[in-house]
Amino acid sequence: MEYRQARKESLFGSVDRVALLLYLLLVAVGVVAVFSASWVEDSEDFFSFSHNYIKQFVWLGISFVVGVVIMLLDRSLWHKIAYFLYAAAILALLATLLFGRTVNGAKAWFEFGPIRLQTMEFAKIAIALATARLMSEFSFSISSFRSLVKVALLLLVPLVITYLQNDTGSGLVLCSFIFMLYREGLNRWLCVPLIFIAALFLLSFLFSPTVLLIALILVFTISASVANRVWRHGVIYLASLFGASTLLFLILNAIPMVSIDFYVVLISTALLSMIGVCIYAYRARLRNLYIMVLLFVVSVMITPTSNAVFNVLKPHQQNRIKTFLGITDDASLNYNVRQSKIAIGSGGFFGKGYLQGSHIRYGLVPEKHTDFIFCTIGEEFGFVGAFVVLALMMAFIMRLMRMGDNQRETFGRVYCYIVASILLFHTLINVGMTIGVVPVMGIPLPLISYGGSSLLAFSIMIFIAFAFDAQTTRELPTYSRL
Amino acid sequence: MKEEGLSSRAWISRIIVILIFAVLALRLGYIQLVDNRYDELSRGNYLRNVILYPPRGEIYDRNGELLAQNRLCYDVTIVRKDMPKHGFDTTRVSELVGMSREALVKKIKQSPYRRESRLTRYPITVEQKLLLDEMNIGGFYTSQRTVRQYPRKIGGNLLGSINEVTKAKIEKDDSYSVGDYIGMEGLELAYENVLRGEKGLVLQDIYASQAERNTILKEPVAGKSIVCTIDAELQQLAEELMQDKVGAVVAIEPSTGEILTMVSSPTFNPDELVIGRERGNNYAKEINNPRMPLWNRAVKSRYPPGSTFKLVTGLIGLQEGVLRPHYTYSCHKGYHIGGEHIGCHEHSSPLALHYAIATSCNAYFCYVFRNILENKREYEIAKDGFEAWRDYVLSFGFGRKLESDFLGEGSGYVPTREFYDKLFRKSWNALSILSLSIGQGELGCTPLQMANLAAIVANRGYYYIPHIVREVEGQDSLDTRFYQKQYTKVDSKYFDPIVEGMWRGVNRDGTCQGAHLKGLDVCGKTGTAQNSKGEDHSTFISFAPRNNPKIAIAVYVEHGGFGAEMAVPIASLIEEKYLTDTITRPYLVEYVKSRKIAYPMYKPKQKKR
Repeated sequence: MEYRQARKESLFGSVDRVALLLYLLLVAVGVVAVFSASWVEDSEDFFSFSHNYIKQFVWLGISFVVGVVIMLLDRSLWHKIAYFLYAAAILALLATLLFGRTVNGAKAWFEFGPIRLQTMEFAKIAIALATARLMSEFSFSISSFRSLVKVALLLLVPLVITYLQNDTGSGLVLCSFIFMLYREGLNRWLCVPLIFIAALFLLSFLFSPTVLLIALILVFTISASVANRVWRHGVIYLASLFGASTLLFLILNAIPMVSIDFYVVLISTALLSMIGVCIYAYRARLRNLYIMVLLFVVSVMITPTSNAVFNVLKPHQQNRIKTFLGITDDASLNYNVRQSKIAIGSGGFFGKGYLQGSHIRYGLVPEKHTDFIFCTIGEEFGFVGAFVVLALMMAFIMRLMRMGDNQRETFGRVYCYIVASILLFHTLINVGMTIGVVPVMGIPLPLISYGGSSLLAFSIMIFIAFAFDAQTTRELPTYSRL
Repeated sequence: MKEEGLSSRAWISRIIVILIFAVLALRLGYIQLVDNRYDELSRGNYLRNVILYPPRGEIYDRNGELLAQNRLCYDVTIVRKDMPKHGFDTTRVSELVGMSREALVKKIKQSPYRRESRLTRYPITVEQKLLLDEMNIGGFYTSQRTVRQYPRKIGGNLLGSINEVTKAKIEKDDSYSVGDYIGMEGLELAYENVLRGEKGLVLQDIYASQAERNTILKEPVAGKSIVCTIDAELQQLAEELMQDKVGAVVAIEPSTGEILTMVSSPTFNPDELVIGRERGNNYAKEINNPRMPLWNRAVKSRYPPGSTFKLVTGLIGLQEGVLRPHYTYSCHKGYHIGGEHIGCHEHSSPLALHYAIATSCNAYFCYVFRNILENKREYEIAKDGFEAWRDYVLSFGFGRKLESDFLGEGSGYVPTREFYDKLFRKSWNALSILSLSIGQGELGCTPLQMANLAAIVANRGYYYIPHIVREVEGQDSLDTRFYQKQYTKVDSKYFDPIVEGMWRGVNRDGTCQGAHLKGLDVCGKTGTAQNSKGEDHSTFISFAPRNNPKIAIAVYVEHGGFGAEMAVPIASLIEEKYLTDTITRPYLVEYVKSRKIAYPMYKPKQKKR
């Protein structure tokens, strides 16, 4: 343990300068890229407010002002009002659902004159604060089933609303909280099935239900066995389950006039065995097994009816996933990703030069200044530029994680990690979709994509983290909690 | 950073972040640095290859008058991607491009989304293009090209037509691609390689400003123009005279072999077969016409030459030494021997060669023919004599292609020894094939070959291969074969009595006095070819003037009756027009034009063999 030097008592004196510099660099990249994406060669009035880059500049100014204000506020304020903000955010989301404006098919926007705000962008801050507060409560324990259900409920409410708003992309950001939960000590063998269920949405198209079911059983059993260090029981369970179902399958098929699918046999046996598993869990006092059982049952319900679950998604979302998986080869569905890949791919090592990207210039990439802003960077600055931007973003996320680790209190640490998680998720999905690694989801690249509400919301979120960090070190020389 | 205090979770969290970014960076590096497919795709996305079609070479007549010229037109292509999303006035567009609205909508729906495809198979006119431009609809592009236009509207079969190149041709010749035009018949086909030119290519950056939009990768090379040997005035006159008659006229300049006129009748208006909306219909109309306008009779049809062939028989007799101009034979309404009977008209008898030619005596040439074949001093049997005779005939250009530059030339037919062996089961002699002497029987020759015979006689023993092109732009000379004299196997001294006979036929007491032109010393020989299908074919070959001939001509009118009836006035008018540039006998023109010959004519006619 070491003392950390108290920084100067000025406004920005104690702020993490590296993080601030990274933030400024990222927004600068954003302005440069948005300018390129929305600049029209023979535009007459360079400073007209109708230009996207001017608007972005104005929003940047507002963000800085708000940032300064946040730095001046006391950090305890956020702890106090976290739940109020959460309630307000839920109300705002509901209000948007009722009275909002529909943009690109998502009823997720509020409009005040020329200003358009996406409610979820701001609701995220409240959700992050509320989650941080919940997890910093004295009674909260990461290994407690009850506590985890609380967190899940906290996240599920806004997720459902965004689904109703037809804006699931923004809502899915909340899934990234699992990263923070992992950091906070969530049993890693719970993380694995969670991620697995998420992947199930995609994989259910590629494999037959039987294969998926077997994979599910294996993953869950192995996770549970490893988590509780009961290898032997796991192996015994697996052997008896498969043995019993195979036997049953053979016996049933031996009866004339009866022909039954192995899948049906296996799934019935597995579900029946859950009763036994629950009894075993109660006896052995392995409480996390209940969660496993719950997750397993949910997953099993998903698999055979994967199409039914899939149909819950909106057609355009289904198409995006299908396109990503290569199930459909409809050119128009693939168009965005294809154009985006072409734009980035044609950038080469050094790019085509600023304002020289033919794809961007000619409007071949859709949403080139918002969701596909990374194309502009990739095409005009090439691999070097894109790599630098990724590196900046990674450094910034690492810095935020470091801030979290430096926090003395759980509240601040959880909050910083949530911010890092959200940034990580946004970057992964946004950059990933432009280069065809993940399906298209309409979420922006933080701090870089054009969009006032997004920039302002991310800035507020980040500056709150900055304030936590700055005020931690300012109050007194502390032990750095790493 | 004080890493030593970090919990393992914090460490693993960092590793996860690094891994995620590493995946992104690797993928980024792959598509940007390794996979260069995207670079090419990028270009293809906004660059458009535009083919620059060269103007086709123009065709001039021998006096520099345009026979075929180019008209500007536009191909319409569509790119569905660029079309307005909210639709456009399809009714108006369909009217402009001349297709039904349903067809247009269907076509657009079926067109590839991003790639350029042609809207119609035929181009639109300049006016239509301007109207289309005015509508300013996205996704419609026009590219300039040319189609033919014929100021004189003559020489349909002669000039041929142009159509889009077929798939089979593209497979054989990779210098053609879909949408190219290619000469189909006649001159257009024969000189396709000269006329077509070379396509150019422009790389069009569809988003660049107007000034820097086009990068010319290859300039188009215009097709070379050609000057053909045709005399447009003469051609037009001949076509007019041949109206409502079926047959052919070929006129050759004997001193060069240049074809002055080549008419196949009925003909068609070449403008009707210009690529466009109506081409298909017009083509079907012509091809279904029982008179077969698309069949170029002048070079393809096999006609019995009739009495005009007596010249050849006489010449062979003279060369073989079995005939002297003063030999006389008697003729009493024909040649009768054994069962054979070849009739003749009434004329004084006995008669010598000059008069036999002038009055076209059948019997005389039957004697000559028998003498040639049955010349025991030379040939053991008549069959050998026949083979010798055949060699002579072939040297006159019969029974084989003349190797003209005009494609699609027919070879005519001169029967072979084997043919008769088969026909008569090997037992035949001169009498069996006696009708060959007077150009009947199995003999078939094209009007071009007949005109060539006239040229041979005019030249007294040789000919230049008849050809249709005089000059090709950028070429100093034609193929050398057109400059070489092609000698027949008959010495030139034997031609004089024949010419004398032809001269008498026109100017003294012969069958073709209708061809007499004062001061022009026309020589000619009529023919009346009998045929089993109806009225006799009327034919006439002629050249003028007698010394230093300027024109040799063959006229063939199917079912035209006596040679003197139809063929002679037509040939005479054409000769007069060519030699004096005037028509002094308008009544004759009226007479010829007024004669309409119903065809096909199935009037039963007694066979006169």
